[in-house]
Amino acid sequence: MPPRDWLLLPVLSLLTICGLAVSVEAIARRAFPATPATLASCEVRLDRPEGARAIPNSVCWEKLPEGPLTRYAFNRFGDREDVERGPKAPGAYRIVMTGTSLAIGRYVPRESTLAALLPAELERRTGRKIDVYNESMMQGFPVSTGMRFDEILAAQPDLILWIVVPLDLDYTPEELYRQEPPPLPASAGTARSMERAWYLLKTAYAGDTIAEMVRDHFNRTRTALMLRHVLYESQSRYVESFLKGSQDTEFLRTSPSAEWQKKLEEFDSDANEVASRAKAAGVPLVAVLVPNRAQAAMISMGQWPQGYDPYKLREAIRSTIMRHGGIYIDILPGFRGIANPERDYYPVDGHPDAHGHALLAALIAKGLTDGAAPALKAPGEENIALGQRR
Amino acid sequence: MDTASFQFVLYGLAAALVSNFSRSRIWRSIVLLLASVAFLGLLDHNPLAFLPLAGFLLLGFACIQLLERGWSRSMVWSIVAVILAYVWLKKYTFLPQGIFLHSPYFGLGLSYIFFRVLHLVIETGDGDRKQRIGFGSYLLYTFNFTTLVSGPIQRYEEFAQDQFAQEPIALGPRVVGLQLERIVRGFFKVNVLAMLLNAIQEDALAQLSQPLPFPMKLFSAFRLCVAYPFFLYANFSGYIDIVIALARLMRVRLPENFDRPFSASSFLDFWSRWHITLSTWFKTYVYNPMLLALMRRISSVALEPFLGVLCFFVTFFLVGIWHGRTSEFVVYGLLQGGGISLNKLWQVLLTRSLGRKGYRALAANPFYVALGRGLTFSWFAFSLFWLWANWKQIHTVFASLGAAQWLCVWLAVWLSATVVLAAWEWLRAALLSIKTAEGPVLTSRYARVVYASALGFIAVVMTVLLNQPAPDIVYKAF
Repeated sequence: MPPRDWLLLPVLSLLTICGLAVSVEAIARRAFPATPATLASCEVRLDRPEGARAIPNSVCWEKLPEGPLTRYAFNRFGDREDVERGPKAPGAYRIVMTGTSLAIGRYVPRESTLAALLPAELERRTGRKIDVYNESMMQGFPVSTGMRFDEILAAQPDLILWIVVPLDLDYTPEELYRQEPPPLPASAGTARSMERAWYLLKTAYAGDTIAEMVRDHFNRTRTALMLRHVLYESQSRYVESFLKGSQDTEFLRTSPSAEWQKKLEEFDSDANEVASRAKAAGVPLVAVLVPNRAQAAMISMGQWPQGYDPYKLREAIRSTIMRHGGIYIDILPGFRGIANPERDYYPVDGHPDAHGHALLAALIAKGLTDGAAPALKAPGEENIALGQRR
Repeated sequence: MDTASFQFVLYGLAAALVSNFSRSRIWRSIVLLLASVAFLGLLDHNPLAFLPLAGFLLLGFACIQLLERGWSRSMVWSIVAVILAYVWLKKYTFLPQGIFLHSPYFGLGLSYIFFRVLHLVIETGDGDRKQRIGFGSYLLYTFNFTTLVSGPIQRYEEFAQDQFAQEPIALGPRVVGLQLERIVRGFFKVNVLAMLLNAIQEDALAQLSQPLPFPMKLFSAFRLCVAYPFFLYANFSGYIDIVIALARLMRVRLPENFDRPFSASSFLDFWSRWHITLSTWFKTYVYNPMLLALMRRISSVALEPFLGVLCFFVTFFLVGIWHGRTSEFVVYGLLQGGGISLNKLWQVLLTRSLGRKGYRALAANPFYVALGRGLTFSWFAFSLFWLWANWKQIHTVFASLGAAQWLCVWLAVWLSATVVLAAWEWLRAALLSIKTAEGPVLTSRYARVVYASALGFIAVVMTVLLNQPAPDIVYKAF
């Protein structure tokens, strides 16, 4: 080997890696653009005792790398609604929907959200005039739903529809905020600048090993997002990665941990609060568990690794809701009859896209009109081929 | 650790580095022995779990000792004893469950140890090996960590020639560079390529039982057939690339196990390019002795070619059933044996009708070669159903479409393989024809550094940073 190659070959290797890294990141940024602003700029954090809410009459835009540019407009009550929370139209049946980011329609244009599509689905099935008012809120965890219950009742519901997703139980608001670093020290003078620099270093690398640090940095790149997006298009790969790599899999385990049992108990307490207030107001409460992306894929595949069960959480939610006098509608079996339902979710982010909202609207409408709510019972048995809707 | 993981590669590189601290064969043997023992210890922490394997190794050594001491009449019994012990330890399902050991024990790599032990027993019994084997050499050969999990199956003489050489084989910068490049290539194949192909196959399998429109189902069936052979190749040959390179860095040359198998223009050719050390082992110890024995008994010249057909069937039927312990593998064996004997029969009949010259001209025809390549691939792809699936899965797969539709899928696989593999061969030849004075540009050290860096970077991103788990090495289960 010529002596020059001792230098040339390592340089060539380094250039190849750098060139590859830079070009892939450039392609990823072009293919998956995002806005720096998020829905959070329209929101006030959960603030006991009033619960999480949006800034009234605010408008903000958000672009998830995987999704379209989305406009969020909140009315004077801080709800993502085109209409105000006024009296319902004569003869109309009003459903007030509550839940978290999925129910608010995050990353989906308002006209394609579950709240916007559900009335038409229900009207088609019942022949009645249906009005859905969306009281959902980001970080509207079960505890927050209880806090905001007066506002839900103020919308004069004939029925309260509570959309529950697995993550609602996984993260309590306290836990979420506990993960956030303390506020950045104010900037003033050299000493403060040093303090700020030290703070930034400390928060960036606190408690991490070098490998975790590198992984954290890599995960913030658009390359990581693009690769995951492509890989997670595969049903089997996504499920395997989710089960092996995600921390949020407790709800799928056949033998959940004591910590998860505690979270179920917390949910039971919050559900009791919501259900008893609904009962006191004489309004039926209907809860529905919407599966997350991995759960939907597992149900559709009809097989899952030992130690996991995509239906496990359903049993817990159903028994909790029914024990407190609420109604539970089960949409999970509907996913068995759909090929690749996970394609109706954003692969990396995990929220449903517009197709996913349409699918959920159809499944929930079917559940509501199958006799769960007597006032909404469909006149005849209707067999809808859900798979054909997509 | 027992797969082509990052840890395994680092472990192997560390062992290779320590091994090269001295050129002394004693030092290198001590390092290999310690590395192999430590490797076993990392795979299973319970020393008692190794007792059955130790017993098997001792049985093999005792048989060799008897044969070396001139008890040549014990050869048949030795072979039978080793085979029975192997079948018992592997828990073949045709045996009654009650006779097996019920406490868990270490059985990884047992098949490959079995081949090595049987090879030593037969060679010793035949008197082909003049030099005696000490217990240390025997242990080094049989559970050398580079070949323990999934081979390749090396002959003792080849191993001893390198491992116990007074002057070890050279290991200059060029060789080190080539081995590092091969490790990267193998790591990429197992952890990226095989992972992606496995995802395609598993998605296709799931889709066959989902409510999909008919054309989509056909496409799923097509992907299911096509993805698995490539997956298996990437998974197994990638692992072999890594161990061959690690062994070479320890100054031992392991035999090649693959030689671009999908370039094979016939099933006979395929099995001389796929899992080469296994098929060579079976050809040496089953095909050759069986053919000789039959030729001694049946002296008809007209029947001679058909004896070859029969021997090929038996040999590759055994190759097939070796892969597993259940009835699915009997079908797999029948398909391998059937494929190769039909191929041989076709050759015999065609040679008779066209004459040797005519057959040679036909076999050289590019169109015939391309069609043969496609047919070989499609046969192998379909036969693999009985390798990766159990009866329940096989039923689900075949029940998802009708017989006529499966025939269409098979034809589509054949034709696509014909076109795609021919295009690949053409492209490969065209790229390799771009040359400088030193040889093809693509195989120059500069090109190798560029693509090894790229593949290494992608593999690290996928495995370490994205934490995407890759499937286990399929052949370690056999």
